Amino acid sequence: MMSEAVLNNIKTRRVVRAMTDEPVAREQIEAILEAARWAPSGGNLRPNRYIVIQDAATRRLIRLVSPGMFQQAPVLILICTNWDVVAEHNVPPTDRALLIDIGTAAQTMLLAAQALGLASGPVTSYSKEAVKIILNLPASYSPEMFICIGHKAEIVQTGMRAWKKISWRDLTHWERFK
Amino acid sequence: MIDWAICAVKQAEPHETVSGGQSTLMSENWVLKEEEAVELLALLITSARIQMEEPAHYGPLRLLTATERLSAMIVERASEKSRAFLQENVDRIPDMHMAMSDGEAYIAALDERCRAVAACLLRHSCPPEEE
Repeated sequence: MMSEAVLNNIKTRRVVRAMTDEPVAREQIEAILEAARWAPSGGNLRPNRYIVIQDAATRRLIRLVSPGMFQQAPVLILICTNWDVVAEHNVPPTDRALLIDIGTAAQTMLLAAQALGLASGPVTSYSKEAVKIILNLPASYSPEMFICIGHKAEIVQTGMRAWKKISWRDLTHWERFK
Repeated sequence: MIDWAICAVKQAEPHETVSGGQSTLMSENWVLKEEEAVELLALLITSARIQMEEPAHYGPLRLLTATERLSAMIVERASEKSRAFLQENVDRIPDMHMAMSDGEAYIAALDERCRAVAACLLRHSCPPEEE
């Protein structure tokens, strides 16, 4: 059943920090971007813009200013906020919907990558100022999160693991608090 | 126990080092390429900035990442004494999971690495006793 496939995709996705240099097909990258286009967006404003980086020299420079990027991914997708769109709709810059939009777009791309048999991982530990310079970003763009896309390397992965086993029950409260 | 006074006398052609001390008997071969040094510099300066907005324990972990990368950069060009230290110790650097899940083990592992680096410094600083 399709619903089982979707749920299985959600449950089996993992953050991958070790990737091979095998390239990712253009059609697969476009499919991931198409999925992101359907992510929910507060007020349907869609202030996010995506920058795809495949050039090896540029990816290397990005990694050098990104202490949290352990992947040597063949594709980086940078989620940006376009502040011109935000201003155009008189949205306060502190509106949390802007952060939520980044999250929904990111998770949608991660799941799309998983559905395509690709490895993926988000990265937020980088110098925003350095990334702006390297990518020559317009002044109205702020770099919010990288999504690394590639093929999982068959090595033992280090890094974050679950601190303790949790179930959805640990995270959920039903109805009113007494 | 090493007698530091004797060590100081035995230093060969001392000169000023970055740390403000005198050079030791460590090899003067270049072990780091300019490109590698700049990579390391980028890691350190960007880590210093992003640390202001990240959990406090990420700070030491970024330093350990820098340690691992520096080790990987120099291990092939290092002297035998240093290479042995690097090969024996860098794989044992504790990871983030240990830092979060077992703080005491993390500290113990880092203490062990600190003792090892001190022993390495002593090996470089004191020439072998003459027969």
